[in-house]
Amino acid sequence: MTAAADLTPEAVRALLADTEPYLSCDECFARIDEYVERRVSDRDFRDDRLETHLAGCGVCAEEAAALEELLRG
Amino acid sequence: MTLVKPMNGEATLLDAGESWVEALDDPGPQGHAARQHLHELLLRATRHQVCRLRDQLPGAGIQDLEDLSQQAADDAMVAVLGKLGTFEGRSRFSTWVFKFGLLHAGVAVRRQAWRHREVGLPDTLVLVTGTATPASEAEGHDLARALSSAIARDLTPHQRHVTLALLVDDVPIDVLADRLGTTRNALYKTLHDARQRLRASLTERGFLDQLPRRSTR
Repeated sequence: MTAAADLTPEAVRALLADTEPYLSCDECFARIDEYVERRVSDRDFRDDRLETHLAGCGVCAEEAAALEELLRG
Repeated sequence: MTLVKPMNGEATLLDAGESWVEALDDPGPQGHAARQHLHELLLRATRHQVCRLRDQLPGAGIQDLEDLSQQAADDAMVAVLGKLGTFEGRSRFSTWVFKFGLLHAGVAVRRQAWRHREVGLPDTLVLVTGTATPASEAEGHDLARALSSAIARDLTPHQRHVTLALLVDDVPIDVLADRLGTTRNALYKTLHDARQRLRASLTERGFLDQLPRRSTR
């Protein structure tokens, strides 16, 4: 089977994203509640390892965005 | 269990994990009330997520979306009750609960959206002409060709199938995991390893300066 694609800049970024240091989806799920809560109270709060995972995993990023939206009301 | 009366007048549990865990374990009326309240929290999260993702279900009516929210809340309830012992109090209990609701609702929406769609496992990437501006076209084509070549040459067949399905065909990772009988974790690890190989290959071929560090998916 063949995938025909116009490799847009977004597709290239997705294919070549640097997802090191590695964090699994399960580890992300275990930490996401604490991370989002802290982000809601402090916009400057960072967690590089978690953010690296979110930048490389669309579904986890979507869940994090939904949780943040829910907490912000 | 402690009840407080918040500003909006709706009775709710004090948001302390220990009180929740203790109350949910109670076999009597207190436990019943706690489980009912837990389900309400989950329903709030699942409705929120189903509403956010409703564009993925264009044929679904209001009742369909509500049924999906209710079913996801029921599934999430089972998951939360099974994982109560893992709650460590690093966030508010309600935040911890919400993430289960969001997870189950998201999985349910994507599964429903993809239920009649075939999920292929592409092994070849064919570049098609895009809409790049003339100024960026040559540079973009060089990178695209190098990337296409690295996908064909440097990835294992499994890495190629998973990477192309997830990032070119845009199959959601949980849908692909479901179809392949594997886990989201396993697929993400495969994707991670594939990306490392692609980056190494393009770095070796002199494309390092053009490589982005981050993505949005």
